[in-house]
Amino acid sequence: MNISSQLWLAAVTCFAAIFTNNILLMYFLGLCPFTSVSREVKTAFGLGVAVVFVMTCTAMLNWLAFRYILAPLNLEFFRFIMFIIIIAAFVQFVEMVIDRYSPKLYHALGIFLPLITVNCAILGASLFMVIRDYTFIVTVGYGFGSGIGWLLAILAMAGIRQRLAHARIPRGLDGPGITLIIAGLMALAFIGFTGVLG
Amino acid sequence: MKAVRSLLDKLYTVPQLARFKPVIGAADAILYGTNETTHAAPHVVDNIDIKRYMSLVIVALLPAVAAAFFLFGWRVIAIIMVSYMAGGAVEVIFAIIRKHDIHEGFLITGLIFPLVLPPTTPLWVVAVGVVFGTMFGKEMFGGTGRNIFNPALVGRLFITIAFPAIMTMNWQTPFASGPEAITTATPLTTFKSTAQTSTINPSVVEAGTEQVLFTNAGAVKKATQNPQSEFAGVQVYCMGDAAYEKAAHHRRIEEGKASRLVSYGDLLIGKEPGSMGETCRLAILAGGLLLIGLRVSNWRIPVSYMTTVFIFAAVGSHFLPAKIAPPMFQVLAGGLLFGAMFMATDPITSPFTKAGKYIFGISCGVLTVLIRSFSGYVEGVMFSIVIMNAFTPLIDQMVLMFKYRPVKA
Repeated sequence: MNISSQLWLAAVTCFAAIFTNNILLMYFLGLCPFTSVSREVKTAFGLGVAVVFVMTCTAMLNWLAFRYILAPLNLEFFRFIMFIIIIAAFVQFVEMVIDRYSPKLYHALGIFLPLITVNCAILGASLFMVIRDYTFIVTVGYGFGSGIGWLLAILAMAGIRQRLAHARIPRGLDGPGITLIIAGLMALAFIGFTGVLG
Repeated sequence: MKAVRSLLDKLYTVPQLARFKPVIGAADAILYGTNETTHAAPHVVDNIDIKRYMSLVIVALLPAVAAAFFLFGWRVIAIIMVSYMAGGAVEVIFAIIRKHDIHEGFLITGLIFPLVLPPTTPLWVVAVGVVFGTMFGKEMFGGTGRNIFNPALVGRLFITIAFPAIMTMNWQTPFASGPEAITTATPLTTFKSTAQTSTINPSVVEAGTEQVLFTNAGAVKKATQNPQSEFAGVQVYCMGDAAYEKAAHHRRIEEGKASRLVSYGDLLIGKEPGSMGETCRLAILAGGLLLIGLRVSNWRIPVSYMTTVFIFAAVGSHFLPAKIAPPMFQVLAGGLLFGAMFMATDPITSPFTKAGKYIFGISCGVLTVLIRSFSGYVEGVMFSIVIMNAFTPLIDQMVLMFKYRPVKA
């Protein structure tokens, strides 16, 4: 395949990852930070941007590791451990770089950056990329699109929860309960995208 | 009258009935009206209270209800009654347990919900949908004025996905009854499932094929004058003078061929199958314009919504005629008019800022055409409105943030 058709495929995959195969609303990955960090739009945005960045970069790194280290050695079963080590190492590395060069951004992101290591959406994106046999360029589009999709979902949820702050929600449902119900209703609506470029 | 009044006053004081105070209060309000003003969301910038606000919406819905009854018969009334009873039961139970008043909002949800259902929907499915919509779409969030999603659409969405065969396979032809009235295709379904060409080309039209052709009266005239062309079994959507279409139609019928010429005029008056309240577009327009004229609903969302659908479809159908239907057809077919007039304009679940309303309408329009043209679903109106409902609080907060940015010192 030539480069332009690869780029086109990457763009299509990116769009599909945002809407049709939204990693949060279709696969329900990354739910723990989604329920716990969605109280305010501002912090949700910080976490979301961090997820977009880390997801794109780790998908690229994991693709290289899988293609040039694991596949030649026939160690494909080893990918779970390899991927999570790469993700953890990358997040640590990014943290140190940001702390050194931009302390302001470091403090703004705060706890969210290390938290991303255990965000299953990040690992999920890398694993999907292997299962679906994406090429490198398509992987970049997929990682970026998945991150944007996650960011969109958590932003919408944070907006809703800010508005619900004063609503009379049944006591037992306050917090994670109503969050999961809203996520379910959003997922119900996103089913409408089924088949769009998917 | 006095006896009823004193009975109600007595009921308020009976200690055993204290639990049922919301029910008594609702009966009181319906029979006598109240002098209370709005004390819960949505607040309105007018001296009318929610009751009058809501009753105007019901008045505006009446033409669509009457048209549905006229087109599909008594079953419409049965479905509306089931919707009111099942949904009303949920509302009353929540009001009693959670000790709040019975809100008038339900009167609208209970009427809008049946209007977006196919006329053949089994009554138990109607009950399931309205119970789900009222419970998870509204009461979980604290009742009327607090809901994030449109409760009627949440219910419709749930039963569409839970019972796809029931909700998409059976449609009733208007003015007809019995088994032969059941068809599987609405105009949108026909467009999606058949090959299309953008103009009538007499040599392309084959007898017996089901094709949707978009054209104007002139092209039809040309095609019908060509003795070689056959219209048997061909569905033609055309825009043009109704008298001529009628003549062309009759000519083919006389020759014993089952041709079907469907004009945009037919779509407008509701002669095509579809959901109960969405088929008669004239009634919807009458009700919707009444609401806009009385300033009960805002013109920004319906106008930007339909304009976007029109423009997107015009550009899209030019480049991808096999996927995207032409603009007039997109606007008149399916539930777009009903959704834009009565559901996207819901003051609770749509943005309250002006810029937010435009963003909401434009996004709904893009999503509608996108889902209609490329997804596995035929109709995109309900999905797009619910998706944008989810983004409504965010849109409002963003608009306020950019508009009222703190001045930098």
